[in-house]
Amino acid sequence: MKKKVLATLLATAMTVGCLTGCGGGAAETPAAEAPAAEAPAAEEPAAEAPAAEEAPAVEAPATAAEGTDPVANLIAATTGTVTLKVWASEEDQDLTTKLLDEFKAAYPDVTFDITLGAESESTAKDTVLTDVEAAADVYAFADDQINDLVNAGALQEVVANYTFDVVNENATGAVEAAAVDGKVYAYPMTADNGYFMFYDSSVFSESDVQSLEKMVEVADAAGKKIAMDISNGWYIYAFFQGAGLELNLNDDGLTNTCTWNGPGGTDVAQAILDLTASNVLVDMSDEDMATQIAEGNVAACVNGTWRAETAAEAWGDNYAATKLPTFKAGGKDYQMSSYSGYKLVGVNPHSANVGWAMLLAEFLTNEAAQTARFEARGLGPANLAAASSDAVLANPAISALAAQAAYATPQRVGGNFWSPAETLGQILASGNPDGTDLQELLDTTVEGITAPVE
Amino acid sequence: MKKTINFILRHVVLLLLAVVWLIPILWLFVTSFSGYKGINTSHFFPETWTLDNYAQLFLRSDSIVQYNKWFLNTLVIAIFTCLISTILVLMVSYTMSKLRFPGRKSLMSFSIILNMFPGVLSMIAIYFILKTFNLTNSHIGMIIVYSAGAGLGFLICKGFMDTISISLSEAARLEGASEAKIFWKIIIPLSKPIIVYTVISSFLVPWGDFVFAKLMLNFGIATDWTVAIGLFNMLGKSMINKYFSVFCAGGVVISVPISILFLIMQKFYVEGITGGSVKG
Repeated sequence: MKKKVLATLLATAMTVGCLTGCGGGAAETPAAEAPAAEAPAAEEPAAEAPAAEEAPAVEAPATAAEGTDPVANLIAATTGTVTLKVWASEEDQDLTTKLLDEFKAAYPDVTFDITLGAESESTAKDTVLTDVEAAADVYAFADDQINDLVNAGALQEVVANYTFDVVNENATGAVEAAAVDGKVYAYPMTADNGYFMFYDSSVFSESDVQSLEKMVEVADAAGKKIAMDISNGWYIYAFFQGAGLELNLNDDGLTNTCTWNGPGGTDVAQAILDLTASNVLVDMSDEDMATQIAEGNVAACVNGTWRAETAAEAWGDNYAATKLPTFKAGGKDYQMSSYSGYKLVGVNPHSANVGWAMLLAEFLTNEAAQTARFEARGLGPANLAAASSDAVLANPAISALAAQAAYATPQRVGGNFWSPAETLGQILASGNPDGTDLQELLDTTVEGITAPVE
Repeated sequence: MKKTINFILRHVVLLLLAVVWLIPILWLFVTSFSGYKGINTSHFFPETWTLDNYAQLFLRSDSIVQYNKWFLNTLVIAIFTCLISTILVLMVSYTMSKLRFPGRKSLMSFSIILNMFPGVLSMIAIYFILKTFNLTNSHIGMIIVYSAGAGLGFLICKGFMDTISISLSEAARLEGASEAKIFWKIIIPLSKPIIVYTVISSFLVPWGDFVFAKLMLNFGIATDWTVAIGLFNMLGKSMINKYFSVFCAGGVVISVPISILFLIMQKFYVEGITGGSVKG
């Protein structure tokens, strides 16, 4: 009898256990589906809000008495406290705090309750997609995340402008990066998320930095190193794209097309092998670069604006930056390509105050804010007027980025690209230790990059 | 001769193991005094020594480093969790060990099985349940999460209480003591070592937890964070070069309360083991 009871209880326990086990999984699935399923429902009020505010704006000329300004309409339609949650990167906290104070001061008739949280632009997607409803109303993110964010219903389309024309006042590339299928989903904030060449002008002359082979020669003579994070898909792309080989995101938004193993691919791989063989061009992570530049071992590096401070500090007056050099593959010179990147500010359609969130996003990315961001942190503005100011044009890192822009492409690539490209980079940077046939090596890499996503 | 060789060999092996274990801690410790803020991989010992990292940690809070707040948050969460779970564990253990009631065995098996499922499984479910009660991003929610299931971890404590002779509680019962009295006056004083163990282990759960804390505190507001999230945040790729040695200092400081707790508790631990009640 006792045994029977025990057995029944055990069975119940197991079942309950299974249920709780499934419970975790089951809860996860709706969670993942929720944004997609709710998107239409959530879009309604979201789309309504700006539309409602937009309507009078359109009619404005006719009914001038009703108020021509969409902002005035927004204020008129607001009752009670406007609660907004904002995410900006850790480095942007001080500036954003200042901008938020200015925002509150600009609309003294409205009571705001704005909280500022810290979330890096590079990880915004992961945090937002964990729970879109709990995510911030206004958040900054890097432009390569836009497809996933739009698919998850985490971005409010920019259907109306309150204070300035987002599309025409920002650089075309930045607006394209903020758009999916021709619809703009975010407000461009900076246009400097790409890479270029930093160098110490006491080691290299301006003509030296035109060609990577020449740079290696000069650096070797001076006993210095040139650093590049070759074992990172983001950077190794510069060689292959530069030589005209392609890597693109397919229309499904998940898988890639890649021709790195096509004609000329082995020449590029051989070129990387040759360049790194001298041990002058070295594979180095960003963190190591910071140390090595400071210690004076590295006299040139491929990196982005975030490393400008380190380089300027270490090289002083000799600090210089320019577009990426050319490299020789199969007897021909190719200009190295690069990824261009933008930082964007998005509005969460689940926000309770979409109108105010959009206005705030505009405020955080308008000309004055972008200029302030450049002055405080040296970030390149996407705003055309801010980008053409003398101070911006005189900044070496940003003008180098502008020079590189002609050869840069926006970063649109599926998740399967990174680890095969990293492996390829590691093998090439370490001199192909197993002596694998290069064509074979590239075939394997491309197979990994173009693999279907389950 | 053979004895000496054996002795040397043994100690060489032990020494090697000790070095392997201690090197990362030593590195963390010396790096926390480094004058250079980023990771310096070319030197083991820092080139310049300073106490500035600790000063920055405690005295110069900025938008990224809010160590005092984090420390306080974590301490409050850990202390409350520790109190609640210790009481729960002791009570459940007493019930299971000393009381006899129908269904006791089955209940025990049931809870042991339930406890075997990893807590992470239900993490997402817990998150959404707490969200409906508006308890995410709140320290109360975290205390609930950490301590609510504690009673299920009674097994070790129950095993200890089983070794306390039943005749003690029987004697007390004959004298007219209530269950509460037996529990507080007889069993608890005899269970010091296991109380120490329970206190330390239930304090450590919230103190070192990252996964739940990261999931629960998702507003990104630095002043709400616990130490684990705050320290992790310092390792972000844009900050690691400015905050790495501060991170190390934070890592050293976080071990202080644990050590203090253990030092205080250790006395009871030894006492409990050596002291006895039913003498031969």
